[in-house]
Amino acid sequence: MDFATTPLAAMAGSAGLQTYVVIMLALVAVMTIMDVIHKKSAKYFFEDSKKAEAKVKAGIAAGSKNCSVGFEDGRYREVSGGEKMGAAVGVVLNEVAVSGEFDSTKPLRRFVHILTMYGTILLSAATIIIAFSGTGETVSLAWNLGALMLFVGSWWFWFVYKVDVMSEGNSWTDIDLRRDMFSLSLMAVSTTALGWSIWGGAVWEILAMLAGISLFGGVYWSKFAHMFFKPFAAYDKRIKKLSGALDNLPHETRFDKSGAVVAQQRDRHSMELLKDAPMNMGLGIKREGPNHY
Amino acid sequence: MGIKTIVEDNIDILVAGAGLGGTGTAYEARHWGRDKKIVIAEKANINRSGAVAQGLYAINCYMGTRWGENNPEDHVRYARIDLMGMVREDLLFDMARHVDSAVHKFEEWGLPLMRNEKTGAYQREGRWQIMIHGESYKPIVAEAATKNADKTYNRVMITHLLMDESGRNRVGGAIGFNVRTGNCHVFKSKTVVVGAGGASNIYKPRSVGEGAGRVWYAPWSSGSAYALMINAGAKMTQMENRIVLARFKDGYGPVGAYFLHLKTYTQNAYGEEYESKHFPALQKMVGKEYLDMEASHRTHRPIPTCLRNHAIIQEVAAGRGPIHMVTMHAFQDPHLEEVGWENFLGMTVGQAVLWAATDLDPKYQNPELTTSEPYVMGSHATGCGAWCSGPADVSPPEYQWGYNRMMSIEGLFGAGDAVGGTPHAFSSGSFTEGRISGKSACQYIDDGKAEGIVVSDSQIEKRKAEIFKPLETYQVGRNEIVAGTVSPSYLLPHPGLQRLQKIMDEYCGGVTVNYMTNDKLLNIGLQKLKIMEEDLEKVGAEDTHQLMRAWELKHRHRTSECVMQHTLFRKETRWPGYYYRGDAMKLDDKNWHCLTVSRRDPETGEYTLEKAPLYHLVGDMEDKALADMKKSEKKPAKKAAKAK
Amino acid sequence: MPTFVYMTRCDGCGYCVDICPSDIMHIDKKYRRAYNIEPSMCWECYSCVKACPHHAIDARGYADFAPLGHSVRTIRDEEAGTIAWRVTFRDGRVKNFLSPITTVPWGTGIPDFRNEPEPTEAERNSQLLSFEPKYIRMDDGDIATLKSQNLEMKEGVYY
Ligand SMILES: Cc1cc2nc3c(=O)[nH]c(=O)nc-3n(C[C@H](O)[C@H](O)[C@H](O)COP(=O)(O)OP(=O)(O)OC[C@H]3O[C@@H](n4cnc5c(N)ncnc54)[C@H](O)[C@@H]3O)c2cc1C
Ligand code: SF4
Ligand code: SF4
Repeated sequence: MDFATTPLAAMAGSAGLQTYVVIMLALVAVMTIMDVIHKKSAKYFFEDSKKAEAKVKAGIAAGSKNCSVGFEDGRYREVSGGEKMGAAVGVVLNEVAVSGEFDSTKPLRRFVHILTMYGTILLSAATIIIAFSGTGETVSLAWNLGALMLFVGSWWFWFVYKVDVMSEGNSWTDIDLRRDMFSLSLMAVSTTALGWSIWGGAVWEILAMLAGISLFGGVYWSKFAHMFFKPFAAYDKRIKKLSGALDNLPHETRFDKSGAVVAQQRDRHSMELLKDAPMNMGLGIKREGPNHY
Repeated sequence: MGIKTIVEDNIDILVAGAGLGGTGTAYEARHWGRDKKIVIAEKANINRSGAVAQGLYAINCYMGTRWGENNPEDHVRYARIDLMGMVREDLLFDMARHVDSAVHKFEEWGLPLMRNEKTGAYQREGRWQIMIHGESYKPIVAEAATKNADKTYNRVMITHLLMDESGRNRVGGAIGFNVRTGNCHVFKSKTVVVGAGGASNIYKPRSVGEGAGRVWYAPWSSGSAYALMINAGAKMTQMENRIVLARFKDGYGPVGAYFLHLKTYTQNAYGEEYESKHFPALQKMVGKEYLDMEASHRTHRPIPTCLRNHAIIQEVAAGRGPIHMVTMHAFQDPHLEEVGWENFLGMTVGQAVLWAATDLDPKYQNPELTTSEPYVMGSHATGCGAWCSGPADVSPPEYQWGYNRMMSIEGLFGAGDAVGGTPHAFSSGSFTEGRISGKSACQYIDDGKAEGIVVSDSQIEKRKAEIFKPLETYQVGRNEIVAGTVSPSYLLPHPGLQRLQKIMDEYCGGVTVNYMTNDKLLNIGLQKLKIMEEDLEKVGAEDTHQLMRAWELKHRHRTSECVMQHTLFRKETRWPGYYYRGDAMKLDDKNWHCLTVSRRDPETGEYTLEKAPLYHLVGDMEDKALADMKKSEKKPAKKAAKAK
Repeated sequence: MPTFVYMTRCDGCGYCVDICPSDIMHIDKKYRRAYNIEPSMCWECYSCVKACPHHAIDARGYADFAPLGHSVRTIRDEEAGTIAWRVTFRDGRVKNFLSPITTVPWGTGIPDFRNEPEPTEAERNSQLLSFEPKYIRMDDGDIATLKSQNLEMKEGVYY
């Protein structure tokens, strides 16, 4: 396999390839919009953020007044414009760039996800560049590398980290088209791209095109559309954390942010038994992964 | 069918169901059997399985001999009166003399047991209960078990015991399937300890929609322990002794800490004390020996739980409901308020949710109390379960045939809900019983009793076909209909469960008939259960999850049948407030001061029922205050003298 | 209060699927996120809620008897050894709780018997269990017997 060239080279800048790329992009856009309209998800986000804002206002006004056990003072606060910007940047740097939303106890799962995501991005971006501004060594390298990363990530995921395999105990041979359309499409795109790149030929070409159609054309039915609201969800989560809305989660802990014991909690009757307890108990049942069967 | 069969061979001790009882077994068996092969088969994930999945806020059985609080025999006497005399006192004494050693270990393992600041002893909730922050009770005991077992199979539901075919009435292992992979699992084992828990949801619950999940005992308590043993032909005892609980309405929040620690009390809708007015008539039904208000008032002797239920049932029937728990005084104390809430958050979160949802703050409003649908289990305030051998140094010959906690089938042991006649074991007592069984199983093997067990392939194949039949039934039958859940040729588990619940409710003394039944109703009910058994051959399952539900239903059905048989056999009303035999409304000590023992013939499905004698622990064990009181009575009645 | 899962919080990691004692948390085929497949078999035991690393699971009181608009949420922190609860009433009142879930680092106090001295033959043939008699009373006292307690087992009617 030659990383310096791609099977697309012959079509670089051609109208055919450009049309294909445009159609794929349009499919994603249209289907995502259809999904948003159909599900009224934008409306949901809007209403939800209004609700959270109202809760923060009320919370600030009430302080601990409505709270008869424990404390609420200082839980809620206004989030400044600067902080909102910061949150947005944080989302891009953390959740978007390095899949920071993944549970930190399973770093490999997160790695596989990053591999898949960057593979997809590299492969798609390189394709667009080749279609519109012609090919070259760098862009070809990116294309091949993207395909390879996606290949490794998507197949690894399929055999090991797919939750149906990991926690549901299904065999990896268990395929449900609706459930697995997205994962299978990713595997198909990367496999056919690599196959095409290595062996060339019309058969691989057609397969690669079809794989692309199933990935982008299936947006409405697969969970691809869902990808687009992940950053919004991550942003929403950050803002709620800053404002203290916190999805109604409890905020009281044994330690403050610096790791020091909170006297108010230590002296609480229920916490008597932890007065002189170690600071870190380690992990209990969370030591083990979610595959008990 | 292409179903994989995984065989685990040469097991010494198989734990079938690892709740509080089963974990105790796996842990203790390792001490006595260092090189024995100990294997756990658990239907769910051992870290959160069984009745203690959400944690507990109290350990309800702790003697405190260490602090000079109680002796084992005190607990026996307490359980005896609470169950209207019907308990296995040898087993109870045995459990009580060991239970503290389990609790002291729990503390070492990190289970937060509250301490009384003044005395340094464990914080008492009541005479037998100590208070804990037990959110992680189950993960902690699970680790003790898995650390000492050779292998833990999670998500494996045991459907049948395997029997020795060498001509002895002996167990040879167990078989079941993995709820996730759908594989068949065969365990060939020298001994089996059944710890598969009690039965919820065999009676129609008060809430029948989503709320059906908020039953008092866990919805996954499917009576498997009973069905496994009954189907194998083990003798059962006291299966008529179901329990009805007076609990906070709808959420079923526990009341122990409220009554005992927070000192809340009940009253009727008009703010009146109501119990005492029902007691004179009740005393006529059960006799003064069982309901002696004065003795209960002046001594530690409790008024039996069922009789207090009876007062609630009567008061509500008289039109003065609902019954309220008066919390408003206790909750003014901020510490007690915290205890009241944490009690729920620690073991019945649903009650806290319900109060939040209905804006009910017990500080300002007294919540309602009601009596639940009946449950069948043997570790709380009732003693359903298998007929087990007792300890050699305590039990009379009728109660003893070799190994402590061994059933009427050789090599088959039990713990917790599975063991009959031992109410008031609760979490700690169940764990203790598990430990006892673990040691006994090792002794049984060491004595060479488990040699030459034969489990043929044909036995395994027969069971395997049976286990997976519901999947086949569904797949084939599904072609008959367009869509939906209604089919003329198969029955899905959920509607099946609803039928069972309706039968039990209406014919065997459920909540909608105010716990009333009689011989006629029971006979009709038994007929209906027979027909239902035919339909259970046609239960269908769409996937392995439903296959589990299908087997839970079959286990519940078998348990119900046994309950119905026992209820019919005991022709008296022994526990008013748990259920009533309309054709025999009185407690009848002349004919029924005995334990009931049944056996279902695995070949014919016929039940034989018999009476077993009741032995009591007597001697220097009576409550001093009670004894003094009896002595000071001018003319002691003959019976009262006997009770000393 | 059967559980439900927030679409924007769940990442399909499977911890809830793994832990649910009722086997009712499963992955939705389309969204590859978890949901409760059988609410009428949910005990609201919160096992899944506590296990979810993203606090994506919440509970809504059973429709049979619980009005909408409340919330009872929790954070179980194994490293700190605590569980925190926040109860929000329908009318907005709030109560916060914090309690311990372990007093020693997890698993450290539990013996592995394979590393402990073997029991003696006399212990085997006695009524004693492991760590007994010491752990019964935490002193030199022995296990209770009929004799030590001055008792006998008698057939008949006693109350
Ligand atoms: C709401 C509530 C409050 C309680 N409060 C207290 C309290 O405050 N203090 C106290 O001491 N006790 C309390 N108890 C009682 C205590 O929980 C029980 O007594 C104890 O758990 C019984 O132990 P067990 O081993 O018999 O059953 P469980 O602990 O229920 O264990 C049964 C096990 O068997 C498994 N199983 C079931 N069927 C199968 C099968 N077919 N194959 C394989 N595995 C199977 C289950 O998954 C489970 O793990 C309470 C119980 C409830 C429900
Ligand atoms: S544990 Fe939480 S994040 Fe993971 S699958 Fe379940 S709901 Fe989703
Ligand atoms: S609350 Fe309990 S029963 Fe309900 S889904 Fe979660 S783990 Fe399962």
